[in-house]
Amino acid sequence: MEQVFASVVFNRHLTGDYWLLEAEAPALAASLLPGQFVNVRIEGSAAPYLRRPFSVYRVSRDRRRLQIAYKVMGEGTGLMTSSIRENGRCDLIGPLGHGFSLPANAKRIAVVGRGIGIAALPTLADEAASRGIEVHAFLSARTRPNLVALDIFAEYAFPVVTHTDEARANALVTDALAALAQKVRFDAFYVCGSNRLARAVHALAQKQNVPAEIAMEQHMACGFGDCHGCVIAVNLRPSRGEKAFKEVCHYGPVFQTWEVVDASA
Amino acid sequence: MRAPDLSTTIAGIRMKNPLTVGSGTYGHHGVFGQFYPVETMGALVTKTIRSHRWPGNPPPRVHEVPSGLHSSVGIPCNDWDYFVAHDVPILKGLKVPIIQSVIGRTEDEYVEIVRRCSELGIFAGIELNLSCPNTKQGGVDFGYDPEASFHLVKRARDATKLPLIAKLAPDYSLLSRVAKSVEAAGADAISLVNAPRAMCIDYRTRKPIIGNRVGALSGTAIKPMAVYMVWEVYRAVRVPIFGMGGVTDYRDVIEFMAAGARAVAFGTINYVDPMALPRALEDLTTYLQENGIEDVNELVGAAHDDRDELLIPAENRLESEVPV
Ligand SMILES: Cc1cc2nc3c(=O)[nH]c(=O)nc-3n(C[C@H](O)[C@H](O)[C@H](O)COP(=O)(O)OP(=O)(O)OC[C@H]3O[C@@H](n4cnc5c(N)ncnc54)[C@H](O)[C@@H]3O)c2cc1C
Ligand SMILES: Cc1cc2nc3c(=O)[nH]c(=O)nc-3n(C[C@H](O)[C@H](O)[C@H](O)COP(=O)(O)O)c2cc1C
Ligand code: FES
Repeated sequence: MEQVFASVVFNRHLTGDYWLLEAEAPALAASLLPGQFVNVRIEGSAAPYLRRPFSVYRVSRDRRRLQIAYKVMGEGTGLMTSSIRENGRCDLIGPLGHGFSLPANAKRIAVVGRGIGIAALPTLADEAASRGIEVHAFLSARTRPNLVALDIFAEYAFPVVTHTDEARANALVTDALAALAQKVRFDAFYVCGSNRLARAVHALAQKQNVPAEIAMEQHMACGFGDCHGCVIAVNLRPSRGEKAFKEVCHYGPVFQTWEVVDASA
Repeated sequence: MRAPDLSTTIAGIRMKNPLTVGSGTYGHHGVFGQFYPVETMGALVTKTIRSHRWPGNPPPRVHEVPSGLHSSVGIPCNDWDYFVAHDVPILKGLKVPIIQSVIGRTEDEYVEIVRRCSELGIFAGIELNLSCPNTKQGGVDFGYDPEASFHLVKRARDATKLPLIAKLAPDYSLLSRVAKSVEAAGADAISLVNAPRAMCIDYRTRKPIIGNRVGALSGTAIKPMAVYMVWEVYRAVRVPIFGMGGVTDYRDVIEFMAAGARAVAFGTINYVDPMALPRALEDLTTYLQENGIEDVNELVGAAHDDRDELLIPAENRLESEVPV
């Protein structure tokens, strides 16, 4: 983990509500593991005060550059579109947190993402591909343009099932996963971006006795474990019962689904 | 010109420079020096600990506000045995004076944790975090009550030979009285401000945003208030002051020292700009050189003048606010 002033390669509109930032940060990019994140400071203005956490969307093949795919939500992400400029610099802290784990002999995994939650998945897909693991993606979003990363899964010819609310508002993209999982064996599930999808993936994982991981988000002040501000309630055992508060930036952002599904209820 | 002398002694603790960190804003789980060697600072103030395990407050715990942070973490704490087994060996390895911050819900709990910490023999001082509701006295924070502060500090004083620093809650009306009480009770230094209470309400749900409902405010937003409070306490007591509240750079350090602080702590800024302290140290050195100041301690109290009256009309003053 380190603070770097990365030089910005580009920062441009991606698709739908999303922007894509690419920056040169060799040491950070080289050590980054799938599912880890960075904390971005928007320089040159007093507001916003805090950094903004983002998953790393992609690391270049030479592992010198990294990308962040971000959705324009409020003041911070809005300012990022205008204040972070090509050839300028970007103040980053990372890599942060604990990312996804791939079971040792995995042959096939399923990744499930909704909205900007999808942005956490490409680094996992890249790692899986490098180990010869087949990835099935189940991606959902409000509208078609908000389905990011389709091109990345296409690069590897990984099968992708998509779902948009415009098309079928009540169905879940995990219905397709549940159907497929009847026929083929998955060695792990990964989910991010939606509580509903997380519950569905967790239920399926339990039924099939397959490990399932989830990337969580929480409001953060530091992102590197010092403030204890980003906790969520987690189950300490799969059987529920005892709970504890754990820092998303330190113990997560990736947790086992049993740790977090229904933990705050 | 000769390099300026940055060293200072506060409450008997020798610091190679006057910069330190606010309790709870630097380091975690025994991890220090993630961005620069902890030995860069003049002293390390560690996260407040309790005598017993404590989960802390429910999420969400942090919420950004303009130029500041609204938070309520609730001082989560592992149990004492864990602290001794895990944190103490790491702290022992640090070559910097360590001030351990402690808290309790009752006088007895404070005394117990003060005693245990002194027995470890690794701390340069103990800071009493007085921002805790006194559960035996209707839940008013010790730091908001001159008498409760007096009794608490007195008992802590009897429980340790280490330098004792009382960290005050920021309360305009009673500040000088509490400062005088803790001084009279034997505190060797005063530290302020702790983050003042605050609340943010979501206009959509019309409910408080922070899990604990009531939180604190810290960061740039509170700086002028904190500088004023240091200024006021400097006039009220003779013990030295650790000043803090929204410090971001060397200019803020100078401001707090001029108000009366002998040492200055970096707090919330550590989360945002983790290199703020080492950069301020460099810039402060340059500032002293450029201004021909040979000893950093010359800055202390520079903002005060001969007018010995507080700018509060006499008839509105509490007796204890009569200038010293
Ligand atoms: C580990 C992690 C990974 C993330 N990855 C991505 C990503 O790859 N792409 C992406 O677009 N977004 C991602 N997010 C969410 C992103 O951090 C927020 O959308 C962003 O902080 C919003 O900032 P804002 O100023 O535009 O919005 P505002 O709503 O104005 O922000 C106000 C405050 O709330 C915080 N906040 C708001 N929403 C979130 C949220 N969902 N999570 C955490 N803090 C939030 C902000 O950081 C800020 O402190 C991630 C969050 C976390 C914790
Ligand atoms: C998240 C957070 C945790 C804190 N934890 C403690 C603590 O454990 N003990 C303490 O005495 N002060 C604690 N503080 C208060 C700071 O040490 C400091 O007094 C206050 O934040 C004002 O300084 P600042 O504006 O520079 O942050 C905490 C502040 C924040 C924001
Ligand atoms: S954001 Fe500070 S501990 Fe996680």
